Amino acid sequence: MTVQDLVDKLNLKVLSGADGIGGKIAGCHVSDLISDVVGNAKEGDAWITLQSHRNIVAAALLKKLSCIILVNGIEPSAQARSMSNNENIPILSTQSTTFETTGLIYNLLSDKL
Amino acid sequence: MREISLHIMDLMENSIRAKARTIKLTITESLTENIYKVSIEDDGVGMSADYVAHLFDPYTTTRSTRKIGLGLPLIKMNTRQAGGDTTVESQPGQGTTLSFWYAHNHWDRPPLGDMGGTMAMLAATNEDKRITYRHITEKGEYTFDTAEIKKALDNMSINNYDIIKYLKEMINENLSEIEAGE
Repeated sequence: MTVQDLVDKLNLKVLSGADGIGGKIAGCHVSDLISDVVGNAKEGDAWITLQSHRNIVAAALLKKLSCIILVNGIEPSAQARSMSNNENIPILSTQSTTFETTGLIYNLLSDKL
Repeated sequence: MREISLHIMDLMENSIRAKARTIKLTITESLTENIYKVSIEDDGVGMSADYVAHLFDPYTTTRSTRKIGLGLPLIKMNTRQAGGDTTVESQPGQGTTLSFWYAHNHWDRPPLGDMGGTMAMLAATNEDKRITYRHITEKGEYTFDTAEIKKALDNMSINNYDIIKYLKEMINENLSEIEAGE
């Protein structure tokens, strides 16, 4: 599954980093602690979070994550947005909660995990 | 809270509730010492040793007597998770000094946030207080002092939309010159 597929299936809004939308999603990591993502996320994971400052893009870049999904309609900071455009790491947005978003993605990925 | 400036706003309001007349905020960023430290010193009513001992326990803080909000246990947790800690020194009648710090390079250190907006707002809504804000980085330092602003404004009120906006921009420009919050 690509980031684009996920955007279509979950009706996500692409806020920035649209050039990275063809990337493959290998799995998913759910966390609001950036050190936990740096320690435990795996390459290709889609990352569900409510953190919105620019460190999210740095962490995603370091761990080669496929995309960042912001829940509850949260908007990224201006710096996070411009870093995501520079690094081609898509930041996606949903009005749904972490619980709902995680459940939907789990169903989409569970046969592949 | 997502940004350090929101913690600062909360804590400085505590100083104001504790009847402080002067509040000194200092932020020190050092990459060589790997520290990002915030100190708030006030000359308010202060707290007893017994009170300070219970400050970080969210279950024993009582709303009727507390001078510090529930934000403090949370700040302590956040700073400890990010390679730092939070301390309070206080004596009745002598004021309070509160410090919290993070490891500069820690992933979970929150961003500084809009200090210009925070300071302009605090200055405008507390014109009877002297509030100073000193920010030190390895590029230099900047001091904002409401006493100087008052002098420059010739005792005109700060609590005016255009002046607040001007102060906010002025502070943020000075901070970006010393690369504060980067």
